[in-house]
Amino acid sequence: MKARANDIEERLLVEAAQKDPARFTDLYEANFERVYAFVSRRVHARADVEDITAEVFQHALENLPRFEWRGVPFVAWLYRIAANGVADRWQYLARESGRAAKEAPSVDFDHEEIERTERRAQIFGDVAKLPAEQRRVIEMRFAEDKSIAEIAKALGKSSGAVKQLQHRAYTKLREQALKGLAGRAGGRNG
Amino acid sequence: MAKQTPAAKFNRALDRQLSTPKALVTAVEFEELRATGTTPVPSFTDALRDMPRERFKERLRRNLERRAKMATSTQAAPEVRATATPYLSVRNAAAALEFYKKAFGAIEVTRLMQPDGRVGHAQIDIEGARIMLADEFPEFGFRSPESLGGSPVHIQLDVKDVDAMAPRAVAAGATVLRPVEDQFYGARSGQFRDPFGFIWSISTHNETLSTEEMQHRIDEMAKNEAAALPRKYIREGFHSITPYLVVPRVAQLIEFLEGAFGAEERFRVNRPGTQVIMHAEVKIGDSMIEMADANEQFPPTPATIILRVDDVDAAFLRATDAGATVLQPVADQDYGVRSATVVDASGNRWNIFTPNEGDVIFKDFRSVTPHFNPMRAPAMIEFLQKAFGAEEIYRAQSPDGVVHHAQVRIGDSVIGMGEAHGPYQPAPATLHLYVPDADASYDRALRAGATSIQPVAEQPYGDRSGGVRDPYGNRWFIATHIRDVAV
Repeated sequence: MKARANDIEERLLVEAAQKDPARFTDLYEANFERVYAFVSRRVHARADVEDITAEVFQHALENLPRFEWRGVPFVAWLYRIAANGVADRWQYLARESGRAAKEAPSVDFDHEEIERTERRAQIFGDVAKLPAEQRRVIEMRFAEDKSIAEIAKALGKSSGAVKQLQHRAYTKLREQALKGLAGRAGGRNG
Repeated sequence: MAKQTPAAKFNRALDRQLSTPKALVTAVEFEELRATGTTPVPSFTDALRDMPRERFKERLRRNLERRAKMATSTQAAPEVRATATPYLSVRNAAAALEFYKKAFGAIEVTRLMQPDGRVGHAQIDIEGARIMLADEFPEFGFRSPESLGGSPVHIQLDVKDVDAMAPRAVAAGATVLRPVEDQFYGARSGQFRDPFGFIWSISTHNETLSTEEMQHRIDEMAKNEAAALPRKYIREGFHSITPYLVVPRVAQLIEFLEGAFGAEERFRVNRPGTQVIMHAEVKIGDSMIEMADANEQFPPTPATIILRVDDVDAAFLRATDAGATVLQPVADQDYGVRSATVVDASGNRWNIFTPNEGDVIFKDFRSVTPHFNPMRAPAMIEFLQKAFGAEEIYRAQSPDGVVHHAQVRIGDSVIGMGEAHGPYQPAPATLHLYVPDADASYDRALRAGATSIQPVAEQPYGDRSGGVRDPYGNRWFIATHIRDVAV
């Protein structure tokens, strides 16, 4: 039931955006983490991940009028665009390095691959939902690879305060992760 | 084995908890598997390391919004959100309307004409912002910036892309007051004056910041600005140059200055157990004078002081009443001042003056300005330039080359000089000079031809200072104020 409700909601979002491109940002918000998760599992450099993610959504916005609803989730379409972007990048990197390009990533995922991408997107989404300061600490700690001392300096806080923020963020992320796991397990059984 | 960081512990715990039944592993197994390069479960911290930056997500969203908007630009102007609308009173509203279209991409919504051809009311829309304007109607008190000589109100215009709009505005005739740049509060903005006298602050939001982050940035900027500010190297209440009167009978001199020129004694210290004054400070008008009783080490160096007063006639009378001898009675001078010269009992010469209306030569003089009578002024000026970075600001020279009056500026102070003539012959003086870097100035003075009296050292009264004698016999105590010392 839940899945179906989501499908209907997504379909309405797509149709709204097809009528009024300004509504595309709703689709962007709903799918950003998944696309980013998909790309970041396949491309290493952050700059490349950002470039490809941007291209995916720009391409999707431009081609949205041609998108036809065939009962496949909207995100599958985005994944296909992303897979092309990733393949292009691999080819480019291969040319640069003189090595043979990897084969284009498959978008016919097995269950496990979907699960992994979804879980990664879930983590990204959970981080995004953290209170601003906690989120900033996690971003600096992991994405920017900064030390507690560096973060404390950048935020004008004590190291203790930063550790406290990090701890709260961890606790929250753990809760969310477990909830997500339970949700998925329930979905599979139901 | 590498030390386990809290993050790594967290990672393990989570990885265990997140293991699906299909790929359930213990933490130990997980580590073993990871060592072989196969991870059955995506690591939580790996995901965090790859997490998207918030700013990237924001930026991409704005980029998509802009693209989406371009795709819909053929549609009607967007809804107006503003509730307070600027109403511009313009000289030549018709031209202004054209300008706003070109410069800001304004859409003309309404234009109503008066029978006399003036625009009675117009409304434009700039990216959704509503602005009204009309020709000026001075007869109704409705005046333009051009009539008023400017506008005190700035218009803050939020646009999608200030970098795209700014060059268009400039090409259309706007003047850049402040170029477009990143602002600490998370926007890029610039300030422009349009040809009709209105000032526009055009801004594009580019970063969403928490209040703490903004405050932090303000604090950082304030810190940097404080660091960039020139250090205060002059003691409070003093100027770059203070005459130091090393003369006999200082106690009597202070009384004279109080009576004649309204001096206020600020500080005095005697040699212990004696009436000999080691150091005293008085304030006259806006300036300080320092003094000390002369002794064998420091023989007398009475000075010539140009003293600006409100009423030279009254000051002259008070000075002579207090015992000064007259060198030159009060008279109007052909160089635009009314002045007199008296000599006090310690031997200092006081050239007291009041500028006449329209005087331009002495109008910026402080209460106290030291004056010299060198044989040749250009040589002394050259020394002051080399030694102290002096700047010549005035010179009156007769056709035969005699310099009657010259002024040089050092720091915030001025020195006057006139080449020796009649009773005005060279006489060495002592001066207290504040500079940003006493050590450097001391070295420079020596290189310029001065000789050392005492090397630069930190003094107990909060200055770092040293002394030199210039080629004309004047003593300069070169100082940098380091800290205030309670007296």
